[in-house]
This record gives sequence, C-alpha cells and structure tokens, in this order.
Amino acid sequence: MNWRRIALISVPFLWLLGLFLVPFFIVLKISLSDIALAIPPYTPTLELSEGWSGLRDLVAQLDFENFAFLADDDLYWKSYLSSVQIAFVSTFMCLLIGFPIAYGMANAPTEWQPTLMLLVILPFWTSFLIRVYSLIGLLSQEGMINQFLMWIGLINEPLMILNTNWAVYIGIVYTYCPFMILPIYATLIKLDGSLLEAAEDLGCSRTEAFWRITIPLSKAGIIAGCFLVFIPALGEFVIPSLLGGSGTLMIGKVLFEEFFANRDWPVASAVAVILLLILIIPIVMYQRNEQKMMEADT
Amino acid sequence: MSQNEFAPWNDPAAKPLIQFKNVTKQFGDFTAVDDLSIDIYEKEFFALLGPSGCGKTTMMRMLAGFEKPTSGTILLDGKDISPIPPNKRSVNMMFQSYALFPHLTVYDNIAFGLKRSAMPRDEIDGRVKDMLRLVQIEKFANRKPEQISGGQRQRVALARALAKAPKLLLLDEPLSALDKKLRQDTQFELMDIQEKTGTTFVIVTHDQEEAMTVASRVAVMNFGKLVQVDTPTQIYEAPNSAYVADFIGDVNIIEGNATKDGDRVSIAWAEGQPDIIGTPSQPIGDGRVSFVIRPEKIAISSDKPADRRNAVQGKVLDIAYLGNMSTYHVEMPNGMVIKAQAANQRRRDSLPFTWEDPVWLSWSDTAGVVLEGSGQV
Repeated sequence: MNWRRIALISVPFLWLLGLFLVPFFIVLKISLSDIALAIPPYTPTLELSEGWSGLRDLVAQLDFENFAFLADDDLYWKSYLSSVQIAFVSTFMCLLIGFPIAYGMANAPTEWQPTLMLLVILPFWTSFLIRVYSLIGLLSQEGMINQFLMWIGLINEPLMILNTNWAVYIGIVYTYCPFMILPIYATLIKLDGSLLEAAEDLGCSRTEAFWRITIPLSKAGIIAGCFLVFIPALGEFVIPSLLGGSGTLMIGKVLFEEFFANRDWPVASAVAVILLLILIIPIVMYQRNEQKMMEADT
Repeated sequence: MSQNEFAPWNDPAAKPLIQFKNVTKQFGDFTAVDDLSIDIYEKEFFALLGPSGCGKTTMMRMLAGFEKPTSGTILLDGKDISPIPPNKRSVNMMFQSYALFPHLTVYDNIAFGLKRSAMPRDEIDGRVKDMLRLVQIEKFANRKPEQISGGQRQRVALARALAKAPKLLLLDEPLSALDKKLRQDTQFELMDIQEKTGTTFVIVTHDQEEAMTVASRVAVMNFGKLVQVDTPTQIYEAPNSAYVADFIGDVNIIEGNATKDGDRVSIAWAEGQPDIIGTPSQPIGDGRVSFVIRPEKIAISSDKPADRRNAVQGKVLDIAYLGNMSTYHVEMPNGMVIKAQAANQRRRDSLPFTWEDPVWLSWSDTAGVVLEGSGQV
C-alpha cells in the first residue's frame, strides 16, 4: 500500500471520525441511557478507573426504553411527519421559485451575472436571526403586508399569517431559496448553448428542447439544491419557533424543548438519532441510484 | 473526383437547391454578410472558405435557421425559408463542438431527431442501425459521448445529422477538433459518405487544404463578400485576385508594369532585370499588374536554363526542408525574395543547393497568372 495515499486519505477520514462519528456514538449512547438528576443529567456514565468491568457494567445498563417511549407518545411521530411534510413542501416551493431565477440568471447578459449573483447572496450579509425577526414585522397582523393589503382594499380585516404554518413556509422558502438557486445556476451556466440549437435543429420546439435537454442536464444541480434545502429545513428550529404558532409541530422544536426545557437528554438524544436516520435514508437512496447509473454506463 | 461529369453550375437548365438572393446580415452596425448572391446545386459538396469573421458561419446559421437575413431572401427548393423555424426545416447541421447530448447514449443521440419526426416507432431502430453502420460505430451504440474518442464523437455527430435524411447537411468546421492524420482520413470518408447518401453538403472551414480536398466547389469569402466561387482546380490555378491566390496555398506575388506583346504581356518588375513574360487569361490593357506564380511552378538550377525566357538569378537565403520537398527562399538582387519548390528526389545529404549558393530560377510563359491592379491583399 502506498503510504502517501493513506496519509492523504486519512485527513478527511480522521475529520469525519473525530467530528462526526465519535460525537454520534456519544449521542447514541446517551439515547440508550436513563435520565438522572446529576451532572451530566443521565446515567450510567463510564467509569474509566474501573477498566473493562466498568465498560461491561455500562453496556449492561443501556436499553431502548427511550425509543419505545418515542413510539408510544404520538407527539413525536406526528412531529416527525409534520417536519417531513413542511420540509418537503418548502423544498418544492424553493424549486418552483429558484429554478426560474437560476435560469434567468444563467441566460442574463454576461456583464449582469456578477450583480445578480451578488443580489442572491446579499441576504447572507445580515444575521439570520435578524432576518427572521424582520419577517415577524412583515407578517404580523399590524405588519406591513396586512396594512398594504387593507390599504388597497383587497381585504377588510388583517389576515392571520404569523403564528401559522404559512409563516413557517414563507420563512423557510425565503431563507433557503439561495441554496436552491446557486447549485442550479452552477449547472445551467455550464450548459452548452449549441446543445439547445442542436435539439432545435433535430426537430424540437423551444419548449421541448427545454424539457429534453435543459432539465435532464441540470438534474445534478436540482438534486443538490433539494438536499441543501430539505436537510436543514427538516431539523429547522428557529423559524418554526419564531414564526410558527402553537399548532406548528416540528421536530427541531421538540428537540430543543426536550434538551433545554425538560433537561431530558436521553429522550432528546433518541429524537436526534431518529432524525439522523430519516435524513440518511434519502441520501443513501440517492447515492445508490448514482452508483447504479455509473455502473450501467460502463 | 468526378468534376468532369458533375458540374450543374455550368448547366443553365439545372435548378439550384439553394439560392441566396442579395442576402445581407447585420449585427448592430457590423455587416457580416454583404449583399451576397449564390446558387448551390443538389448533390454538391460546397465549401465556404475564409478567415474568421468573413461571414461564412453566419451564412451557415442562416441556412440552419438560427439567424434571419436582414434583407434579401434565401430559397430552398424554390421556397423562401426565412419564416420557417429551424425545427421545421429539412436542413440538419453538424456542429463544430459536435453538440452531442451528454445524457443520452450514442444510439439515443442518433435516434433523437427521428423520434421528433413522423417516422413510425418500429422503423426508427432500423434507421439508427443503418446510420451506425454507415459511420462504422456499431460497437459504441450503448456508450455515452464522454466514453468515446474525439474521432468517434465526430462520427456520431455526422450520423445524427444525417439520420433524418435532410435535403441539405451543414457542416461547421467538422474536422477542426481532430489531429492532422485522422483529419485527412476523415476527409475522404466524408466524401465517400456524401456520395453514398447523395445529400447536398455545405461545409464551413478556414482550412484551405480541407476545402480543396472535399469540395466540388469552393467559395472564398472575405468581409462578407464572395471573392471567388469555383472548382478547387480553378481556384488554385486561376485565382481571380491576389487575395484568393494568397489565401489558397503558397504564392509569389510580383508587381510590375505590363506592356502588351501579342497575346502575352511583358512585365517590367525590377530595374536591371529582364521582363517577365506572362500569359493573361483574358486580354488586359497596359498598366500596373500583379504576376502571381506558385513556388512549385518555378524550377531551380545552378546554370541558366537555355530553353526558358523567364529566368532570374539570385542567391539562396533560406531552405525549408519539408521531407518530400524543399522550399527555397531565393533573394533577388533588388532584395525581393522569391519562393521556389523542388521535390527531394535524392536523400538529404545530397541536397543540390545550400545557403548563399547562386542559383537560377525559371518558369514557362504560362506558369503564372497575370492580374490587373496591384497585389495588395
């Protein structure tokens, strides 16, 4: 084996091991523990001084009680389901809004493109929290949107937007749209214009060329954008807790409450483990699909 | 080539497939194609040749339908094609970049146009297989474009453009991405395929050798205008201007003052040198002329040849050894350099002349072309 190759590969490997896998196993271990009035607030903890027998004692005390509890209480699976639904719908809306923007950017005159790009990234120059707070100002019943709609006479009394799922959708779509736009733009800008001309030359109308050439060739960007929106949206905590109402069920909120309000670390960890599993399933599916396509190619 | 039998452009009864009638195309205030008229006949292999920016690509894009003429009309089979969009024209194009669809296999690339046509599903497969066979890429039918070589991609692009059996096939610099050896082989294959399918080909190229090899007629363009439209032989042997002579192949251009001498002219070109005797192709008056002669038409010898009237002495300035032949740059007493070519019939160690050798250059009365006006290109 080539030592240099091992050294090169070990850098990202150690990074993942130290900053992802080890913390994950710690969370997994806590999720199998019991709540305790102690610091840290769970039991058992590993007694390093007792060596092997200590480790054996620890493993013997672990159980799946917390997972069983999650399955029993319908709050949790309802939260998961509602999170998946909110994340899915938001991702779809981001795609509907983001694709035309990315398409317009990629087809804009070259000298405009840096400016358009800047406009897409500009919101990141303001703190995320401040942007979400300012949405409250826009969406509340005395907010600017309601006042404007009433002023033009479209509605007679203010709409209830804030503290509903609508506000959560608006918040997520507004916040995460750039993550949809940028990868799609990156694939569209690389698209060779002569491919569309060739499609037209071979008998496609403009619309048909768009569906048969542009869409398949920007698939990688669309999928990347969807993942970049779906994954953080699924575990989103700030947006539902600030914009959503008491009826908004999202797993991020549940997680926060278990950790900080109930101080029930084991249950919170179990919630986090399940959330990770939910996220891993689509990623694995996607990667397996990619691999199959690559194998079919060769 | 069968130029002797195939010459519809000389037949007044022949109906052209394509007619450009006073076509002008402007981009902003830049005139890409300037009041251009030309007829192209069925089964022709027509080459548009010129430097970049001469308007040849614009002409092709107007034929394909990607550009509309600013004024004038283009007729295909006697019908004005300006209002017809590219996807409704019986014209297909092979793109310079090949523009193969990267997400489709070779087979699906070739079938792409057929699936958009009215052809019944069960006939498509047969047609695609015929095309694969025609360009000899059956083995790669299930590969993606990125998994085949540049030469194979070029074949796929050709097969895809031919699949719909268009009346007219446009080839935009089709061989520019191939290396020299492969390019030469492919040129002959292109001619072969053109003959087999009987399709009219219009090729755009800046490579004069390529145009000369494949085309039945060559149109030399410059600044959006046609300079000369003729068969390769005529273009080479009887250029109508110093521009064409200089653009196609290597050439010596000698300016001088002509005096009529029967059906010949004698050209005074340098003080203290004998006049050059030339034969104009059509009668010309006295005055400023350019004498245009190709290096291979000039013989080089150490003694003054007795049988030729055109003979000048100079000394060898430079020798370009090309393997099969050598080009000698010979300096005249007035400082002018004339290029002469000689085949290397013997091995290199016995080259007849070397640097600084005094030599005689000679040519026959009909070896060069006499053109009116100065030779400024």
